[in-house]
Amino acid sequence: MSNEFTRFCKLAEVPPGGKKALRINDTWVLVCNTRERLLAVSGICSHQARPLFNGRVRNCKITCPVHGARFDLETGQALDLPATKPIPVYEVRVVDDWIEVCV
Amino acid sequence: MSNQVLERKQDSAPGAARCPNEPTTQEIIARDKVAAPGWVRSESYEYMGDEDISIDRYIDPAYARKEFDNLWPRTWQFACREEHIPEVGDYYVYDIGRRSFIVTRVAEDDIRAYYNTCLHRGTKLRASGTEGSTSQFKCPFHGWSWNLDGTLNEVVCEWDFPHVNPAEYSLPQVRVELLGGFVFINMDRDAPTLAEYLGPEFMAHIKAWKLEDRYVTCHVYKTIPANWKLNMEAFMEAYHVMETHPQVAVSNADANSQYDTYGEHVNRFISSLGVLSPHLRGQYTEQDVLDQFTIGDSSMLGGEDRKLKEGETARQRMADIMREMFERGTNTDLSHVSDAELLDCFSYTLFPNTFLFPGISLPMVYRFRPHPTDHRQSIYEVMFLRPLPQDGSRPEPAEPVYLREGQSFTEAEGMDPGFGAILDQDTENLLLQQEGLEASAKPGITLGNYQEIRVRHFERAVDRYVEAGA
Repeated sequence: MSNEFTRFCKLAEVPPGGKKALRINDTWVLVCNTRERLLAVSGICSHQARPLFNGRVRNCKITCPVHGARFDLETGQALDLPATKPIPVYEVRVVDDWIEVCV
Repeated sequence: MSNQVLERKQDSAPGAARCPNEPTTQEIIARDKVAAPGWVRSESYEYMGDEDISIDRYIDPAYARKEFDNLWPRTWQFACREEHIPEVGDYYVYDIGRRSFIVTRVAEDDIRAYYNTCLHRGTKLRASGTEGSTSQFKCPFHGWSWNLDGTLNEVVCEWDFPHVNPAEYSLPQVRVELLGGFVFINMDRDAPTLAEYLGPEFMAHIKAWKLEDRYVTCHVYKTIPANWKLNMEAFMEAYHVMETHPQVAVSNADANSQYDTYGEHVNRFISSLGVLSPHLRGQYTEQDVLDQFTIGDSSMLGGEDRKLKEGETARQRMADIMREMFERGTNTDLSHVSDAELLDCFSYTLFPNTFLFPGISLPMVYRFRPHPTDHRQSIYEVMFLRPLPQDGSRPEPAEPVYLREGQSFTEAEGMDPGFGAILDQDTENLLLQQEGLEASAKPGITLGNYQEIRVRHFERAVDRYVEAGA
């Protein structure tokens, strides 16, 4: 993991309640706009490495659509079986209308 | 002379006695400026005998097992609110005892509830306490999957299962009905409809409240160290206000509250606020009553001028203040809402485990569930339901807050501190009551004819369900 921020997408592409998944180098990153915050986590579930992208986000938590494990978007912590391991979280910032992520 | 004669006549019919020399709830409400609707202005009390009620129901684990066998599988209980599953594909896992159901929005107007068990080797499809969204329910063990509508989607290595007829492997469902924005389920396929179960009178009441136009602004869970029925019964009467909530008694018609029963499954009380408790008659002025008013969401009542005019009652002033403050605070139009609906505490029990409080000042829902393995514990939830903003937007329902044992309700974010203190006072008595019953020489509890009718009515329904399976 570097200390460098990479441009992710335009702020307008992730409105309140929205989310977007993109690959940065070899890492899938999911950025969510929830409770007036931008939170970035891995786009891959820690349970069986399936995509989290279509998971429902509510109250800073995301539910994996595959087997229903939930993760805290602020800490990456796994909240329910069948997941037990956390997912990585990434720093997010907004610079000149661009969302940037540090991967 | 005449007063004594009247009182004796009044007391002669069992259950007819009311708090002496005090206005009734209906008389209090009749004096209000903005008149109350029909569902408030009615009475429905029936004397149900005065025998003690056996205490094994609270202290015997075998009784709890009978409840899991005969009561919970045959009654309507709400699993979640529609707002918890707003979009197609959304689901919410509801548990009662060891049973677990995935409540799913299959289409815009189609909500189903499936037994949360894989039909291969029994793994839970979704962990308890979770909610989310999906296009199919896939088991994490071998990958068998079901469509949203409950039909079988895939058997992995289908060649090995020629004996599995897909048509027979849909996820089993339970009955689902929607009412007031709540999603109710019933495990009994032959149960009466929810409307039949609740009865026509109550159905008229709940239609008037339009609870479907509210949203959950606060949701608190706490495990209580008492049997679920004791937990519920702590809230079924205002008789305990003087001793348990003395700070409330100064502005609560506690001993002259009104109690009603409706059919088998619904009962209620109306407890008027902004008036002095009969226990304190003569000790406080109208101004004192106004100054002490603490019920309700007092966060909305800061800084108002509270000096009463000549001849003005505390109750009327509180209604006026609340009307204005709530209109501003919730961005809704309350001109058609009566003073009583704004001020008073209306507490309804829907058998077996739901309380609805349709008043504006205390717009709450309680749900009670037995601990799955310990009859001496229960899961208690409080939800606040507030009107939707006038702009038509629907905020997301509040995230549940889980309080630890011994943690005060006032620590839950979004909980009004005055109300949180009241809940602490109620739960402090409950452990003593559970333990006291377990230490009791007396085999039954004794109930007041009028003020404790809801407890008797509730336990009669409990008995009927539990004994029906015997």
